[in-house]
Amino acid sequence: MYVPENLPDLLQYLDSHQIGVHLIANGTDMINRIQRRQVNPKVLVDLTGLSEFRYVRKDAGVIRIGALTTISDLIASSIIDSRYEVFREVARKFGGPSIINMATVGGNICSASSSEDLMPVLLVLDAEVRLRSIHGERTMKVEDFVKGKRTTQLKPNEIVVETMFREIGPEGSCSFDKVGMRNSLIIAFVNSAVYLQLARDMRVAEVRIALNRVSGKIPQRAQMTERKLKGSKLSKQSLADAALTLRNELRLTSDFRVSEEYRTEVACAIFKRTLSRCIQRLVGEQVLV
Amino acid sequence: MSKHLLKFNVNGKDHALVVQSHERLLDVLRDRLGLKGTKEGCSTGDCGICGVLMDGRLVNSCLIFAIQARNKKIVTIEGIGTPEKLHPIQRAFVKWNASQCGYCIPAMILAAKDLLDRIPEPTTDEIRRATSGIICRCTGYLKIFEAVKTAAAQMKDDRQ
Repeated sequence: MYVPENLPDLLQYLDSHQIGVHLIANGTDMINRIQRRQVNPKVLVDLTGLSEFRYVRKDAGVIRIGALTTISDLIASSIIDSRYEVFREVARKFGGPSIINMATVGGNICSASSSEDLMPVLLVLDAEVRLRSIHGERTMKVEDFVKGKRTTQLKPNEIVVETMFREIGPEGSCSFDKVGMRNSLIIAFVNSAVYLQLARDMRVAEVRIALNRVSGKIPQRAQMTERKLKGSKLSKQSLADAALTLRNELRLTSDFRVSEEYRTEVACAIFKRTLSRCIQRLVGEQVLV
Repeated sequence: MSKHLLKFNVNGKDHALVVQSHERLLDVLRDRLGLKGTKEGCSTGDCGICGVLMDGRLVNSCLIFAIQARNKKIVTIEGIGTPEKLHPIQRAFVKWNASQCGYCIPAMILAAKDLLDRIPEPTTDEIRRATSGIICRCTGYLKIFEAVKTAAAQMKDDRQ
């Protein structure tokens, strides 16, 4: 284990030791993954000393979350007000207190498996990640950052320092839900987040939908369904049509947790649930579903 | 396998010991410091039995490398009260017979401490949520919730 004292030391170290190095924040799944022999890191690098990356800030209409911010820190932040209820929805289903006190936003982004509950939310908020190495910084969409299961665009000499997204305006709302074997502290069969923006006439001005699985084993946007909904006037019918499009769009697979058929049913159901919750937050009543 | 000097504070006492990279906080507390009140359950972060407070917040000591506790304040069940002078949360657990086999109780009491230090008068829902990561296989949850309520009331009286 390498325990850097400060950021310059860390970036220097990463630049000169690029093989077999695993970065961990609070490492909620690292001991498990080592014991199950899923990883065999030569060196673990403990990032928890870099407290400068533990913050939630708002500047010029952009919310910035430091990579070492825990899920508990996030929902306790005064910036994460009722418009960001979606993060409390994530926290409730994410895990028990002892997990959300440890798990970090950066860790959730970098784990890049299909089960990370924060990822669909960051996808629908069109969030970006900021990466830093000794040579400088770069920024990319969260969507582009995750390449595949457990693989990201992170180079061996880089760390994720921040994720950021535009503030949700009064015309927008966002919701998250998840179904697993139990209510919390469980790997999801399906999780889903929806961001919705409505025009005055109840037409969909903007909609973004993400699920932990769409066609592969990573969180993705359901773009066909988004196109179907965008510009349409919300009604029971348009919602049912959208759910049907989603059903056709999904290329889910069976695994040891659950079958493809069940996963598809649940995905469509929680998509409708999260979308109607967004509508409810915007127009203040239970209109559909 | 690298070695590190771990300096941390456990139950109000400063410690400095040499730990190996792979050692878990749970093992250092139990085997090196002899604090057997912290129990091992599933060892995978699912049951919450190994809960301790790190800088006041409940964490699973089976998931944390010992060296990650450097410069932190750890509180285990031994730091909550003594047999002669029980903490109000412990007295409330006794009053309600909230402990059956007792294995999950250290973590339950620490979870209650984390909650009551932040939210002195929690709702039942907040109590349920605060203890939700800890599994009691005797399934005696209701008395645990009652005990936390009683402790909250007692601690409020004590403050006044």
